[in-house]
Amino acid sequence: MHKTILIFITLFIIFTSCSNTNSKKVTYVATGAISAYNLQYINDKNELITTEVLPQSAQDKWTYTYIDDEGELVYMSGNYKDINSSLNMMILIDGKIYKQGSNEADTLFYLTVSGTVPYD
Amino acid sequence: MNKLKYIVLFFLAISLQPLVAQHNSLSGFVIDKQTKQPISNVVVKLAGYNTYTTTNNDGSFKIHHTNISNATVVFSHVGYINKEIHNIEEDGSNSLIVELEASVLNLTEIEIIGLTDNQMPFSIEKIGLKKIESTNLSDIGGIIAKEPNIGGIKKGATGIDPVIRGFKYSQVIVQLNGGTKIEGGCPNRMDPTVSHVNVNDLHNITIYKGPFALKYGPNFGGLINLETTKPLFYNKFENHISMIIGGQTNHSGYKSGINVNGGNSRLSYIFSANKNKFGNYTSGNGDIINSSSDNYNISTGIGFRPATGHVATINFDRSWGRNVDFTALPMDERTDDTEIYEVNYLGTNFSNSINFIKFHAYHSNVNHKMDNKNRPFSDTVVAISSIHAMNSGGRIATNFSAMQGNFEVGANYENIYKDGNREKWLIMQPGLPNFTESIWNNARINNLGVFAEYQNTHDNLDWIISARTDFNSASSGPMLRLKPNGNPVYENVDTKSDYINFSFSAGLTWHVNTSNEISVSLGKGTRSPDMIERYIILLPVGYDPYDYLGNPGLKPETNHEIDVGYKFKGNNLGLFSASVFFSYVTDYISSVRVPPSQVMPQTKGVVGVKTFTNIDDAYLTGFEITYNTPSIHLWEVRVTSAYTTGINPLATVYIVEDGSIVDETTVKNDPLPEIPPFEANLWFNYKFFNDKFVPELNIRMVAAQNLVSEAYDEDSTPGFTLLNFKLNYKYNNQLQINMGVNNIFNINYYEHLNRRIIGSKSPYLEPGRLFYTNLIIKL
Repeated sequence: MHKTILIFITLFIIFTSCSNTNSKKVTYVATGAISAYNLQYINDKNELITTEVLPQSAQDKWTYTYIDDEGELVYMSGNYKDINSSLNMMILIDGKIYKQGSNEADTLFYLTVSGTVPYD
Repeated sequence: MNKLKYIVLFFLAISLQPLVAQHNSLSGFVIDKQTKQPISNVVVKLAGYNTYTTTNNDGSFKIHHTNISNATVVFSHVGYINKEIHNIEEDGSNSLIVELEASVLNLTEIEIIGLTDNQMPFSIEKIGLKKIESTNLSDIGGIIAKEPNIGGIKKGATGIDPVIRGFKYSQVIVQLNGGTKIEGGCPNRMDPTVSHVNVNDLHNITIYKGPFALKYGPNFGGLINLETTKPLFYNKFENHISMIIGGQTNHSGYKSGINVNGGNSRLSYIFSANKNKFGNYTSGNGDIINSSSDNYNISTGIGFRPATGHVATINFDRSWGRNVDFTALPMDERTDDTEIYEVNYLGTNFSNSINFIKFHAYHSNVNHKMDNKNRPFSDTVVAISSIHAMNSGGRIATNFSAMQGNFEVGANYENIYKDGNREKWLIMQPGLPNFTESIWNNARINNLGVFAEYQNTHDNLDWIISARTDFNSASSGPMLRLKPNGNPVYENVDTKSDYINFSFSAGLTWHVNTSNEISVSLGKGTRSPDMIERYIILLPVGYDPYDYLGNPGLKPETNHEIDVGYKFKGNNLGLFSASVFFSYVTDYISSVRVPPSQVMPQTKGVVGVKTFTNIDDAYLTGFEITYNTPSIHLWEVRVTSAYTTGINPLATVYIVEDGSIVDETTVKNDPLPEIPPFEANLWFNYKFFNDKFVPELNIRMVAAQNLVSEAYDEDSTPGFTLLNFKLNYKYNNQLQINMGVNNIFNINYYEHLNRRIIGSKSPYLEPGRLFYTNLIIKL
């Protein structure tokens, strides 16, 4: 009887302690532009999405939130044509800033922030 | 000077050994109660004293003690019920016939046919279950590296790659259960065979040094056999459970495992599950070293015993590796999924002349994924490598008596397959461009070997000769590396090669008298190039900062080795053994630079491209010395020392300035790279309460390694001395606790074989002070 109890206790400990992949909340934020710009980002299905954003003012904020596993790519890249515009982009992981960048009337007119969902 | 100090210490330890006189003795024979056959290796021990001996091949024994008449003598052997004998007559001429009754039927029923490991004329190290259970180490390579003249190349948290007498990688065969091979996935060998086996499943490890044990494969420089725990047969149906739970500070984490087994005389089973998880550690100077790992596995086996003398087993193992740090490599292990399938048969009951027939078949399947996501470089390029590696094969052998000796003949076959890619994402580029590079392209190696071995014992001579022939063929898809724009960086479609290799060994042990023996072995071991040497496509897989290119036309290399050994065994003086070896290697596999006009390097931080090539020759030589005090005392001292050096007579050294090769020169007698320095160890233990409470102190002295290879840009390493302590407490046969502290003085040190931190010249430091404990329960 003691053996059986020990077997089940130990098996329970071992199998409940096997690795789980941690998931985290990823949020993309783009702001600062005063005219249309193209935006590419990786979505919750790990697809590269291209979209056009039409802000009404520099305060307009574009956001996208999803849940992703540790180690997965996070990526957003904006491309604008208006020399008077600018772009601020941020990636937040579980609400904390992970990567950010800004671009103001640069000759390149594009901005990319990216990385991988960090491991604990 | 340091070496001299260690040698003086070594001989000082020997000279401290006192001579103890004795007067009374007991002798006799131990036989099987049912078969009346002699039983060898039975432990004959005086209860309450630390005096014991073991029976010889004919079951005979002789034990000495001053108080033998009042002592209780205990006879014990795995598979037999212990027997105690009291009130022995005190006339010095006792001669007993002791019958032991079988309790557990041996699973494999392997009877020792011919020479035992102790009689072999070449050097063999054995690591038993007790030693495996009492260590805090979860890395099998780390356990093996504690033996004399064996080191381990460390690149990360797991997978220390064994080096035997300066032979490494494919120069050493590492196998499981007498023949199962596992091909690791990583081109940088972050997952050698030892990393795919859980330490809690191990029953014992045997290490055969030199190219002499040829029946297991094309043995070039040594062979390591990892034996896992097997199903046991019992006379009556029984179930048993054993557990181990271990934890440690500093390199904080735990190892845990459960093993359930049972059965009756016809059918048996085994199931085990293990999980080991460790975090980072702090070195002696307070640096935090990334060294976390997470490994778990399950394994199961069934044994059949359809008739006396015939046993078949089927085993399966599934293991997972997750998020293992490799500080010295450009990538970490993200996932490793390994499956091992084994089928074994052993038949012993055929005729008087056939001793046994063995059959072993296996398949191992490794899916290995690595990435650079935890590296600074991943801010611009994220790289993920996925490798699929398989190894399938088997071995068949029969052992029979003829010509007053024992023959073993048979064949073994191995098929290695490897395929894999590296995907790169340029994550700071608009559009997230990505492309795929080939690392292996459906590469295969087949090796079919046939072998024959003959053993004979005549008067005071034991001798053994063996030979094998290997038919080796290899092929791969085109070795192709493309630029992101699709243009080729390198292309080679000529990938086929076939070789026939002959290996031979012969050895002799001369038992000069009951105390002294001398042994000599000669061996010629040839091995064909491995997957990396043949087919790697532009990856920095060496010690030096070069992209490496496989060379399908590479020739096999051959080790011609001579070993000379001496053993002295005295009842009062203990056991002293010494072994000296010299290896002359022809067609030694080394490397040579490929000019940039032929192919440009593809990895950031490397200075050029090298390909594998054969150089004419290389030499390795060294020795091992061990000494054990006799078992007549409650205290025990063990001393070991070992040294190896290797020479490349004519090496090419490339002069690098500002990250580019500016010139080359030739260096005579350049040391071979990655050879551990001189090392000496001293263990002292004392057995309290009839072996129940055994504290042990270990002093480990490692000399500086200044014989470093210029050709491989190898760095010298300072020497160090460590003090370790452990305490084994055996409450009873069911409960045991081991605890200890490693590196008591928190010394900041690193092993010579530790690779450098990737992208730097910084050493990969070892842990500082570390406390550990293991709890073992067996029911």
